[in-house]
Amino acid sequence: MDSVNNVKSSSHRIRNSIATIIGFVVLAGCATNAPQDTWQPKGDNAQIINNLQWIVFPMAGVVGVLVLGFYAYTIYKYNDRGQPIPSQSHGKPIVEIILTIIPALILTVVGVFTFRGIFELANTEDTEMVINVTGQQWWWEYDYPAQDEQGITQPIISSGQLVIPVGTKVLLRETSRDVIHSYWIPALNGKKDAVPGRINLLRLQADKPGIFAGQCTEFCGLSHANMRMEAIALSQEDFAKWVANQQKAYTAPATGSLAKEGESVFLNQCIRCHQVNGLKKADGTPALAAPDENVYSGAAPNLSHLMSRITFAGAKFDLLNKSCRSDVWDASSETIGGKYLAGVSESCLNATHLRAWLRNAPAMKPMYADPAKLASSGGKYRGMPNLGLTETDIDKLVAYLLTLK
Amino acid sequence: MSTNELTLTPSQSPSLVNNKLSLSPSQALGAVRRPVNTNGWRAWLFTVDHKKIGIMYGVVAFTFFIVGGVEALLIRLQLALPDGRILSADKYNQMFTMHGTTMIFLFAMPTAAAFANYFLPLQIGARDVAFPRLNALSFWLFIAGGLILNASWFLGGAADGGWFMYAPNSGPVFSPSNGVDFWILGLQIAGIASLIGSINLIVTVLNMRAPGMTLMKMPVFTWMILVVQFLLVFSLPVITVALVLLMFQRSYGATFFDVSQGADPLLWQHLFWIFGHPEVYVLILPGFGIISEVLPTFSRKPLFGYPFVVFSGASIGLVGFGVWAHHMFASGLGPVSVAVFSMATMAIAIPTGVKIFNWILTMWGGKIWYSAAMKFAIGLVVLFTIGGLSGVTHAVAPSDTQQTDTYYIVAHFHYVLFGGMVFGLFSGFYYWWPKVFGKLLNEKLGSWNFWLMVIGMNLTFGPMHILGLQGQPRRMYIWTEARAGEGFFNFGFWNLVSSIGSFVLAVGVLFFIINVIKTSRNPERAPLDPWDARTLEWLTTSPPKVHNFDRVPVVHHLDEFFHRKYEEDEANHSMKSIAIGEDLIRAEEDAADADIHLPGPSYWPLLLAIGVAVLGLGVVYGTPIMVVGALVVLFASFGWVLEPSVPEAIDFDSPSHDGHTKEIAPLG
Repeated sequence: MDSVNNVKSSSHRIRNSIATIIGFVVLAGCATNAPQDTWQPKGDNAQIINNLQWIVFPMAGVVGVLVLGFYAYTIYKYNDRGQPIPSQSHGKPIVEIILTIIPALILTVVGVFTFRGIFELANTEDTEMVINVTGQQWWWEYDYPAQDEQGITQPIISSGQLVIPVGTKVLLRETSRDVIHSYWIPALNGKKDAVPGRINLLRLQADKPGIFAGQCTEFCGLSHANMRMEAIALSQEDFAKWVANQQKAYTAPATGSLAKEGESVFLNQCIRCHQVNGLKKADGTPALAAPDENVYSGAAPNLSHLMSRITFAGAKFDLLNKSCRSDVWDASSETIGGKYLAGVSESCLNATHLRAWLRNAPAMKPMYADPAKLASSGGKYRGMPNLGLTETDIDKLVAYLLTLK
Repeated sequence: MSTNELTLTPSQSPSLVNNKLSLSPSQALGAVRRPVNTNGWRAWLFTVDHKKIGIMYGVVAFTFFIVGGVEALLIRLQLALPDGRILSADKYNQMFTMHGTTMIFLFAMPTAAAFANYFLPLQIGARDVAFPRLNALSFWLFIAGGLILNASWFLGGAADGGWFMYAPNSGPVFSPSNGVDFWILGLQIAGIASLIGSINLIVTVLNMRAPGMTLMKMPVFTWMILVVQFLLVFSLPVITVALVLLMFQRSYGATFFDVSQGADPLLWQHLFWIFGHPEVYVLILPGFGIISEVLPTFSRKPLFGYPFVVFSGASIGLVGFGVWAHHMFASGLGPVSVAVFSMATMAIAIPTGVKIFNWILTMWGGKIWYSAAMKFAIGLVVLFTIGGLSGVTHAVAPSDTQQTDTYYIVAHFHYVLFGGMVFGLFSGFYYWWPKVFGKLLNEKLGSWNFWLMVIGMNLTFGPMHILGLQGQPRRMYIWTEARAGEGFFNFGFWNLVSSIGSFVLAVGVLFFIINVIKTSRNPERAPLDPWDARTLEWLTTSPPKVHNFDRVPVVHHLDEFFHRKYEEDEANHSMKSIAIGEDLIRAEEDAADADIHLPGPSYWPLLLAIGVAVLGLGVVYGTPIMVVGALVVLFASFGWVLEPSVPEAIDFDSPSHDGHTKEIAPLG
């Protein structure tokens, strides 16, 4: 930790001075508040990387300006103005040697810092919390093993949005159920691939509460572009509330309500793939999803607390409508926790996209869900198929899903 | 013996001239006699002349450049606006896969092969390559590979896994169309072409240099081509193995990359990049070689630090085999591997920097003529410097984990490959066009061509630096406003600039095509030595005669041709003219060698390539097709080995001579 802070403070000074000079020139052409900006670190790991960027990019810039400046001068100066054909000299070894040593020295300096950065980022010994992250075409699953220190007494399964406490060294243990994906929250760290059959480690740590956008960055097939995610950092207290909510037992909708009818639609259709913890069939036995029988990769998002998240379908769509969305996304680090924990209410629901998704999911996000094209996967879907729901069914389902807070 | 009689005429066909008792093997085989046409389309189909093959490589590769370019324009159209609707996700994935594959395997490598084929024998004073029929086979196999790759568009969809085709996404479940199968077979066949070609050129360089041309008097272009051939010889077998594994997985139920069967998908990545990184240098070094000819010629100075440029090229090639895992910094290799590959990648920047310094210092103190060829060469140095420096930022592995798979990488490698390689190839087009076709490309159109390409290229790929650093990932069929940032310079602005730039670039390329058409209609012949050039390929007519040189040159200097024209003025060390290139070339004609041996044309390379293509299609379409292909391969192979490499009519050392031939006869 100490060494990290040292890197931070020493390069902060260099950074501030160079930033003001070069910053204006370069940043003038950049977007403001780009959610995936790689130059806006919001935690220690990303900071280590950013410190290295602030060494190598200015270095490259200065070398580039010097070399190309000298080149421009050469181009101008030795234009053919009628001078005689010069002596056919084949070069001077001493010049060659100097011009070999200078870049070697510069790169050695960069190399030393790089070396240190690589090993700092690989350190996992002081990890304070573990989350298993699994990539699947085309969404992310998060599985929080029980860990008493974090108040997680029973495992939590979520998807799309990773929720972490601030100031905590979180270790992601990544793998994949099908092809290679890559987990990337630029504000918190670089990428790490999720490789099937392997467990790759990635450390995240956020300094302040906030929503940090990410995107799968290893090409993973048809809907790679639609495989997004967010990391939500909450204060310790808010995180405890989030954990408590995730561990809350299932409450069935009131008998006779529209949501109750939605529950039976869910039991008819959705339960084939999507689990809702605690949901029971009409005869009182537990309703268990069997995604492995229907989905090639073997899983589908657990919807137990769907409305505690604010995006769905691989974070491609918002569960919040426009104004409620910006209310959360633009909130300050002090207020964002409360707003996020409020979840999705009926008045804030982005019903348009949710209903369209229920109506015909593959039309909203390209997936392998056409039964005619499933020969290679033994008839199993890769993504959500069109369920052929009626508008009434959709009304009922939306009402039901809204109860899954 | 007059040189004009060297080419075969129908009256010299074996059956008529052969008055000996023994039948020649091609006659013994019965149906097929050796082709004898010296003009018309047959002269091209059955040729083994390295110059004709070089031209065909160039024409076909440029056609694929247009195909790959149209694919790129479609990609940029799709990404010009958020949530683009020009292409579906599926088509987009096919498009970027085929854009990369086409540009690398069907444009860049064969265009380099075009230059290598045409100019390498000329630069070393040889009459042809070592194995002329194998050379023809290389070309026809490349055509077969290219056609198979692109046929997939019309036969159920092209490959959709990216040019890197990572497992397990390339497996039969995740990519169910035949596209990947066509991709595997196309690359495999094109790979055989390159492998054969590389062995051919290595043997040519090592065995067939003109007397006096030591390795360190060899032109830098030939040197770089030699390095590239060694890279190919050692890297292509690796991709061949990877492709065979994938083919068996997809077509015959093997499980090399099937995780549920215990496979490790990183195997593919290692195999692919052990090939893939040397491949980067395979693409770039020919461009380096070309401008290492152009910069000295138009600066009127020898290349600064020739041995340093040669050895840095060779060391780039060598170290290039030890940096492959920098493509895998995010794949979870562990910190020790990452550190090692990070350091190796930084090390490779040093010889690369040496080259850039030497090019600049070549021009320093020169007498520079800014022709179109020179403009493209200078453009290469500038753009490659930018691409090289952004490359150094990737060598910092932690920083790379932020940038990899973003548009920053796309920007980087297009500066390196478009700026470095394509500009080199265009420099070569302008420089060598008069040699190949005897006509000068229009300099004014060349200037338009250059400036539009420079502006278009920077508009297209420059903004990608910003997009990538601000977090736009690559290989995404749409980008979304939700991740695009705010302000005037948001992703919408830069994506639009990039798309507009791509069309400016396309117009620039169009100017080249216009230039070619205009030049072909212009009756005016180019002078024999239009650039006051330095190397041996200019010591002959334009276009060169079928046997290249009337007299095999004897070499005393690096830049032999230049030193035959100039000598140093003792007084002020500047150079004074002692001869005119045209006169030197005429003098060679007057002292022509007798008994020049040339290989004869042959049906077999083309037929063998067709057989291999059919054999390949059999993998997709079933065993009967494969059997047909195998029979054709077998027939063509026998025909080939039974055919003498040099036609009987001229395969004869007259006893009246002292048995001494003045060149090493091509081996066939």
